[in-house]
Amino acid sequence: MDLREDTSGDVTILEIKGRIDSTTAPVLGERLTASLTTPQRRLVLDLRQLEYISSAGFRVLLLAARRAEEAGARFVLCSVTGKVRHLFDLGGFLDLFLISGSREEAITAVH
Amino acid sequence: MKRPLNIVYGVEDVPPLGVTLFSGVQHVVLIAIRLLFPLLVAREAGLAPERILDVLGVSMLIMGLGPVLQAMTRGPVGSGYLCPTSFTSAYIAPSLLAAKTGGMALVVGMTLFGGVLEAALSRALRPLRPFFPPEIAGFVVVVVGVTLGSLGTRYVLGVGTPTGLNRHDLTVTAVSLGTMIILNVWTKGSLRVFCALIGMVVGYVAAALAGILTVADLSPVKAAPLLHFPRLGHGGWSFDLGLAIPFGVAALAACLRAMGDITTCQKINDAEWTRPRIRSISGGVLANGLATATAGICGTIGVNTLTSSVGLAGATGVTSRRIAYVIGGMFVVLAFLPKAAALVAIMPRPVLGATLWFSACFVFVNGLQIVTSRMLDVRRTFVIGLGFTIGLAVDLHPSLYSTLPGAVQPFASSSLVLGTISALVLNALFRLGVRRTQTLLIDPARRDTSAIGDFMELQGAAWGARRDVIDRATFNLSQSIETIVDSCEPEGSIEVEASFDEFNLNLRVSYAGPPLELPDKRPSNEDIMASEAGQRRLAGFMLRRYADRVQSRYRAGRSTILFHFDH
Repeated sequence: MDLREDTSGDVTILEIKGRIDSTTAPVLGERLTASLTTPQRRLVLDLRQLEYISSAGFRVLLLAARRAEEAGARFVLCSVTGKVRHLFDLGGFLDLFLISGSREEAITAVH
Repeated sequence: MKRPLNIVYGVEDVPPLGVTLFSGVQHVVLIAIRLLFPLLVAREAGLAPERILDVLGVSMLIMGLGPVLQAMTRGPVGSGYLCPTSFTSAYIAPSLLAAKTGGMALVVGMTLFGGVLEAALSRALRPLRPFFPPEIAGFVVVVVGVTLGSLGTRYVLGVGTPTGLNRHDLTVTAVSLGTMIILNVWTKGSLRVFCALIGMVVGYVAAALAGILTVADLSPVKAAPLLHFPRLGHGGWSFDLGLAIPFGVAALAACLRAMGDITTCQKINDAEWTRPRIRSISGGVLANGLATATAGICGTIGVNTLTSSVGLAGATGVTSRRIAYVIGGMFVVLAFLPKAAALVAIMPRPVLGATLWFSACFVFVNGLQIVTSRMLDVRRTFVIGLGFTIGLAVDLHPSLYSTLPGAVQPFASSSLVLGTISALVLNALFRLGVRRTQTLLIDPARRDTSAIGDFMELQGAAWGARRDVIDRATFNLSQSIETIVDSCEPEGSIEVEASFDEFNLNLRVSYAGPPLELPDKRPSNEDIMASEAGQRRLAGFMLRRYADRVQSRYRAGRSTILFHFDH
C-alpha cells in the first residue's frame, strides 16, 4: 500500500494505492488517527487506485469515522468504483460513509 | 434484467401503435433488401418470370415467419427477442452451386437439409458450449459487422459498376448517412427512433434529384402486378451428397451467427448482462433452423438472423418483441403485393451503402464487447486474432482462394465461413493442455498476496472465464487466506484448488487448523470495531455473501472451505 498526501486549501487529501489488508491496515489506521485528532480537520480519502480492501481495512475505516465524529473533524471518501465499490456494497458500508464520486466533489462535500 | 438507458421500448414493452408500425416498416425495408438473394438463385436456376414471382412471394412469407418464430417465448422454439431474419450470404454460395448443377429442386432439397441440421445443432448447444464459447460468438458478430461495412463500402464506391466512384453517389451517401447519424445522435423521441427509415427516404429523394434513381429504374415497379398470390408448389426436392459439406458449413455458420445475434439481443436489452443465456440461444437457433427448413419445403433459400436489423433495433432503442409480429404481418401482406417488393429491390446503391454502414457500426462494437466480456489469454488471443486474419483474407485476396480444389472451396466461400471454421478449429486445438483443475500451495509465513492474484488471473484467462467471477473468486481467496493466517495458526502450507467448467468455478481451500467462522448475519459496527473477533466475523460474512455457495468442513484437525461461483 502506498499513501500520498495532498492539500487543497484547508482540506487534506490522502490517496491510497494498492491493497488494504491485515498487514497494511495498521499503517493506515495510524495515519488516519493522526489526521483526525484535530477539531475542524477536513480529510478526503481518495480510493481511486485502491485494488483490494479486506475486513481489516473496513475496520480501520469504521474506527476512523468514529474518531472523526468524536473529534469534530470531517471525513469523506471518494472515487469508490468497480470491484472495490462491490466490496463496500457486500459488507454493507456504502451507506455508512459519506462517499463522493470525485475528488472535487469530495472537497466540496467535506466543508 | 435491467433496461439500459438508451433503450426506449424494451423487449417486454408495448410501444404505441405508431411507433410499432413505423419501427416495423424500418425493419421490413432492411430485411427486404435481401430479396435479391433468392432472386439471384431463381434466375441462376433458370426459372420462368412467373415462377420467379412465386419464389419472391414465398420468400417474403418466410421473411415474415422468421421474426415471429424468433420472438416466441413459450416452448422450445424462439429466443424471445426482436431478432429478425432474412436471406443470408452463408447460404447464397452453396445455393448458387446447387442451382447450377440441379436447378431449384436441388436448391430447396439442400436448404431443407441445412435447416434440419441447424435445428439438430440447436439441441446440442449446451454440451457443445466449450467448443462454441462466447468470444467466438462475439467474433462472428465482429466479422459480420466488418462484412456489412465492407459490403456498404462496395455499394458506396460503386465497385464493379460501370460508373465506379463518382461524386453523385458520394453525395447521396453523405446525405442519407448524415441524416441517420444526426437524428440518432442529436435528437430524441420519434426522430431518433425512425432515424434509419427517414435517412433511407431522404436518400431516395437525394438519389432522384442527383439523377441516380431515374424513371427507367422504376420500370420493375411498374411492371410488377398489383396483386399476386404466390404458389407454394414447386418442382420437388432433390439431394446431392456432394453438396452436404457446403450446406453443412452454411448451417454451422448460420448457427454461430444466430448465437452471436441472440447474444447481442440479450446484451442490448440488459444493462446488467454478464453471460449468454443458453436456453434463449438454443431456442433462437432452433427457430432459425425451422425457418430455413420451412424455406426449403416451400421453395426458397435458407435464412439467418439479420445482424443489421439487430443493430438497427439497438441503434433506435426499440427492441419490443411486438415489432416482430408486426414485421410478420407486413410481410404476409407484401407477399401478395409485388410492387412494394420491387420498390425496395430498386433501392439506390448509395442509400443501401449508407444503411449498411449505419448498422455495421453497432454490430461491430457489440461484437467487440461480447469478445471482451471474457478474459483472454494468449491461446484465446490467437484463436480470435488468427481466425480474424484468415477469414478476412477471403475478402482481401479472393483470387488466392478461387484456386483451391473444389472440395475445399465451400470452406472458403466467405470471410464469415472461413474465419468461423478457423476460430472453431483453433479453439478446439488450444483446449489441449489447459487443465481444468489447478493447485496452489501458500506458505503462511510468506503471505504472498500477489501470488494469489496472479494465480487467479492466469487461470481465469486460460479458462476464458468472466472477469467479474474471477474478481469475486480472487477476493474470497485473498480474504480467506488472510483470515486463516491471522487467526487460525495453520500448520504447514495452505492448499488451494481451483476447478472450472463453463458453468461452475469452484475453489477449495484446505489447511491444518481450526475452521473459519462464516456467519449468515453481518456483525454490528460496534462488534467490528470492538475487537479483531468482530473483524473476523465480518470477513466470514463477506466470504459467505460473495460466493454463490459455501461449505465448511472440519475433520481430523484439518479444515476445508468450498466456495462455489456460478458461471
